[in-house]
Amino acid sequence: MKVFFRRLALYAFALWSFFPLYWLLNTSFKTSKDALARPPTFIFKPIMKNYTEVIKNNEVWGYFVDSLIVAFGTTLFGLLIGVPAAYVLARFKFRGSADFGFWILSTRMTPPIAMLIPFFIMYLKLGILDTHIGIIIAHVGLNLSIIVWLMRGFYEEIPMEIEEASYVDGSSFFQTFYKIAVPLSMPGISAVGIITFLFSWNEFLFALVLGDSVVRTSPVGLYGFVGYQKIYWGQLSASASLLLIPVLFFVFLFQKPLIKGLTLGSFK
Amino acid sequence: MSQFRKEKNRFIFLMLMPATILLVGLTLFPFIVSFILSFTDYSLLRPGQTKFIFLNNYIELMTTDEFWIALRVTLVFTILAVFIQVVLGVTFATLLHNENTNVSLLRTLYLLPLAITPIAATFTFRLMFNPSLGVLNYFMKLLGLEPQAWLASPNTALFSLILVDTWQWTPFILLICLGGLASLPNEPFEAAKVDGASSWQIFTKITVPMLYPFIGLALLFRSIDAFKTFDIIYVLTSGGPGILTRTLNLYAFKHGIEYLSMGYAGSIAIVMLIITIVVAQIFLRKNKLLQPKDTLK
Repeated sequence: MKVFFRRLALYAFALWSFFPLYWLLNTSFKTSKDALARPPTFIFKPIMKNYTEVIKNNEVWGYFVDSLIVAFGTTLFGLLIGVPAAYVLARFKFRGSADFGFWILSTRMTPPIAMLIPFFIMYLKLGILDTHIGIIIAHVGLNLSIIVWLMRGFYEEIPMEIEEASYVDGSSFFQTFYKIAVPLSMPGISAVGIITFLFSWNEFLFALVLGDSVVRTSPVGLYGFVGYQKIYWGQLSASASLLLIPVLFFVFLFQKPLIKGLTLGSFK
Repeated sequence: MSQFRKEKNRFIFLMLMPATILLVGLTLFPFIVSFILSFTDYSLLRPGQTKFIFLNNYIELMTTDEFWIALRVTLVFTILAVFIQVVLGVTFATLLHNENTNVSLLRTLYLLPLAITPIAATFTFRLMFNPSLGVLNYFMKLLGLEPQAWLASPNTALFSLILVDTWQWTPFILLICLGGLASLPNEPFEAAKVDGASSWQIFTKITVPMLYPFIGLALLFRSIDAFKTFDIIYVLTSGGPGILTRTLNLYAFKHGIEYLSMGYAGSIAIVMLIITIVVAQIFLRKNKLLQPKDTLK
């Protein structure tokens, strides 16, 4: 009985999460007339035209490649820079460590309106406007606070005895960090990696202002299907649906350590 | 001993350096620029004639009803949306953690709202909310309920925005909690089961307290982000009807980008920053999240 209600709740929540996507998929197989039919149609003659148009459109492939480079780059550099800082903040107290942590957090609090124009000027001067590396740097900066703070939370849950034993064995701080602490924090790295990837993959405002002509990520590109007079529902929904495939692949790849008890259960 | 100390300090320094350089480089300049601008009447319409007007932007802000309305809308939106999301996120993370069939499928379905391009999702919501051809009113009629104007009505506009935000961001909290649950030790849960505790008791007495650092962090980040929500509100209501869903961020956008008065927009941004810093400091101090509980000796 309990199991029954739990499953009922779980599937109801799945339905809630899935329904808007279902509607998007539904729209992607409709003609523009069906997409705006009144009342809305559930059963209709599906067409592939939207997909064939999008697949033949080289620009959409360009958005896809740009997004992939930016999101992978952001995840990689974000974790490389953020995880060490998180580890130190979780394991050591030093003068000003609380303020330093708070300062990192505060970088997420500034409203984008205050950042955009100075960012643009800075990028113009540095000559990194409209480059992959430029957008990657901005995205790492936007997400570093979340990487550092969440990873710190994960490190604090890991008992210190193992690391202490490693010091007793004569390992250095660096060895202990990458041989012991990093492998132990894989559930955290996996969750934070997924979050960083998704944030970067979907970020719109900075990608628009700092990119847009040479490097155009998918959120910016897809916005092109929203005209002033008319929304191109067919292409918008078809390309958004196709763009989900690589993301789901990435999430699937990265979620393994999230499966319970895989890493820590054994010795805790 | 001093050799050890030196090595430790070197380690701390090297581990923090990349993050520090990047963040100083990226945030210091924008912050200083908008801080200075907020004391001027700088406008992109007449950039040559900027004057220092000291606190005038702030005084104007504090004496405008529009500001206080925007502040109230922002707070109501943030508090309600984040509260609902935390409850749903923690609940479904726990339920999913205890489930053993189709877990991978469910997890993937739950993460979909975070994965889909927000532009496409938000416009799909706009289509679904449409009073005459939207699927929501279609369902309302099927259930014999009164169709709603959703985004256009003063009664439902803010509620509709909270609904969309909840749909999009609950998975963020859920994901953090799943990661947290996966890294908690098993013994307390097993011991409680042996002692015959009910699922509800385990949830309230063990899961939530042990997961608390993660819930606190998820709540903190979600609140910071919700406080400056822009995209969904801009696309769905643009702050309407009237100014009933106009948040501080939209208010700043209106002045900065539409009226091009960057000085005034800068002062709104600084006020938002101060509010966030104060609330976050109180929250972190109360919950003792600023410093690690324990450190390596």
